[in-house]
Amino acid sequence: MDKPSRILIIDDEEIVLDSCLSVLEGRGYEIATAPDGTEGLKKAHASAPDLVLVDLMMPGISGFEVLEAMRGIDPTIVTIVITGYSTVESAVEAMKRGAFDFLPKPFTPDELRLIVERGLEKRRLVLEAMALRKERELLQQNFAAIVSHELRSPLSAVQQNLFVLVAELEPQLNESQKGRFERLKSRITDLLKMIQGWLRAVSVPAGEIGGDFAPVSVREVIAKAIESVQPHATRKDVAILDAAPEALAPVLADEAILTEALVNLVGNAVKYTHAGGRVTVSARQEGDQVVVAVADTGVGIAAEDVPFVFDAFYRGQAGPDAEAGCGLGLALTRRIVEAHHGTISVDSEVGKGTTFTVRLPVATAESTRPPGEAATPSTLDPGDKR
Amino acid sequence: MSERKQLLMIDDDPDFVEGIKSILTAAKYDVDVAYNPKDGLAALQKKRYDLLLLDIMMGRGAEGVMIARKMSRDPKLRGIPVLIMTGIREQIAFLFGSQALHPHFVEVDELMEKPVEPRLLLERIEALLKAASQKASEKK
Repeated sequence: MDKPSRILIIDDEEIVLDSCLSVLEGRGYEIATAPDGTEGLKKAHASAPDLVLVDLMMPGISGFEVLEAMRGIDPTIVTIVITGYSTVESAVEAMKRGAFDFLPKPFTPDELRLIVERGLEKRRLVLEAMALRKERELLQQNFAAIVSHELRSPLSAVQQNLFVLVAELEPQLNESQKGRFERLKSRITDLLKMIQGWLRAVSVPAGEIGGDFAPVSVREVIAKAIESVQPHATRKDVAILDAAPEALAPVLADEAILTEALVNLVGNAVKYTHAGGRVTVSARQEGDQVVVAVADTGVGIAAEDVPFVFDAFYRGQAGPDAEAGCGLGLALTRRIVEAHHGTISVDSEVGKGTTFTVRLPVATAESTRPPGEAATPSTLDPGDKR
Repeated sequence: MSERKQLLMIDDDPDFVEGIKSILTAAKYDVDVAYNPKDGLAALQKKRYDLLLLDIMMGRGAEGVMIARKMSRDPKLRGIPVLIMTGIREQIAFLFGSQALHPHFVEVDELMEKPVEPRLLLERIEALLKAASQKASEKK
C-alpha cells in the first residue's frame, strides 16, 4: 500500500503522549511527538504530517495558535484538538479555526483510535479530491492541445491520402470524379479549419484575452470572417452580403480572436438559413461604439429559447439541413465579445430570421498603445488569420 | 552522382506515412519508415540518410522534438536535413516560442503543416537536400 500515515502529537503532559503512543503503536503509523507548540510546529514543517493531535492548553504558544500555524503549513493537514477541560466552547472555537474534531480528556483507547482513523480517512479524501481537481485543471489547460492532436491527426491522414490519390489517379479520373475529390478535400479542409478555430477560442481563458490588444479594423475582421465561412455558404446556396462601410473607427482587439467571434456568428447564420436565403453583415458607428450586425433570413429562434442562446451547450433546433452545432459557438462568441468590453444581443422571429448585434467600444487615443510598446506575442499565432 | 536519395520518415500514423511514402517513392526516393521515436533513433544510427521527415507529436507528447534535440548534439547526425511535419501549428509556436516557423534544431530544417500537397512536399525536400549539400561543401 501507500506510505504509512504520519501522525504528530503535541501535548505538554508526558503521560498523555505516552498513552497515545501506546494506543496507536503497531498500527502502521509513523508517530512523532512534541512537548509544546513551538517544537510541534518545527516537527510539522520537517515531517509533513497527515494528522496532528494538539492539546489546547499548553505552556508557550496555545493550541489555537498551533492550529492557525498548521493551516499555514498545509491546510489539508487534519487537526484534532485534545481538550483537558471538556467545555463545548473551546471545542467549538477550535473547530471554527479549522480543527477536524475534538477529543475530551480523559479518553479511552478506542475513542482515540476511532477519531484518528476517521481523521486519516478525511485526509485521504481531501487529498484525493485535490488530485482529481488538479488533474481536471491540467486537462482543461491542455484540452486544446490534446483535442487538436486527436482530431486533427486522423483528418490529416485522410486528407494526405486524398491529395496523393488525386495526383496518382489524375489520368484515369473523369471530370465528375475529379469534382467529387475536390469536394472531399475542401470539406476536410473546412473541418480542419473549424477545429483549429474553435480550439483557439476555447483555449484562451477569458481573463487572458486582452493581453495584446491593438487597434483593429472591423472592416477587415468582417471581410476575413466572411471569407472563412464563404465555402460553407456556397455549398448551401446561401448568399453572404457584406454591407459594412469602408470607413469605420478601429476597435481595440486581438484580431485573430475577434475574427473567430465573427466567424462563429456568420457561420451560425449560414447554418440556420435555408438554401437561397441570405446573410447580411452590416456595421455602423454609434457614438463611441462600433456596431456590427449579422442578420439572416433563417429559421429564427423561438421567444422562449432566446434567453438561453448564449449559454454553453445550449443547442437550438437543428438548422434546415439538420445541421446541429455542439452548443459552444455562441457561448464562446459572447465570451470573446465581453473580453473586448463589448456586448452582444439577439433579435429573432421564428420563420423570419435572426439578427445578432455586437457592440464594441471605439479605440480612443489614450486606449491605444504607442507602437513602440507592442505587447509580447501571445501563444496564438498572429500570422494565422484566415 | 545520380544514386537515389535515402530518406527516413519517423511518424506514428501508418496511414499518414503511407500517403507520404507514396509521393516520395513515385519521385524516386528510397524511403525507410520508423513508427516510433526509439526505432527512428536506431535507424538513424544504423544507416546514413540524406534527409529525415519527422513527426512532432508522438507517444506521450512532443517526442519528435526529443529526436531533433538528440540529432543536434550528435556530430554525425547534425548535418542531416530535417523536415518537421506536424498538424499543430499553434503547439509548435508554443514549443519554439516566438520563432514559430523555423525550428532551427539542426543546421538545415524546416516546418510543414500536415497535410501537405504532394508538389509542395517534393519542392521542399529538394530545397532541403540542396541546402544541406551546399552547407556540407562549404565546410570542406
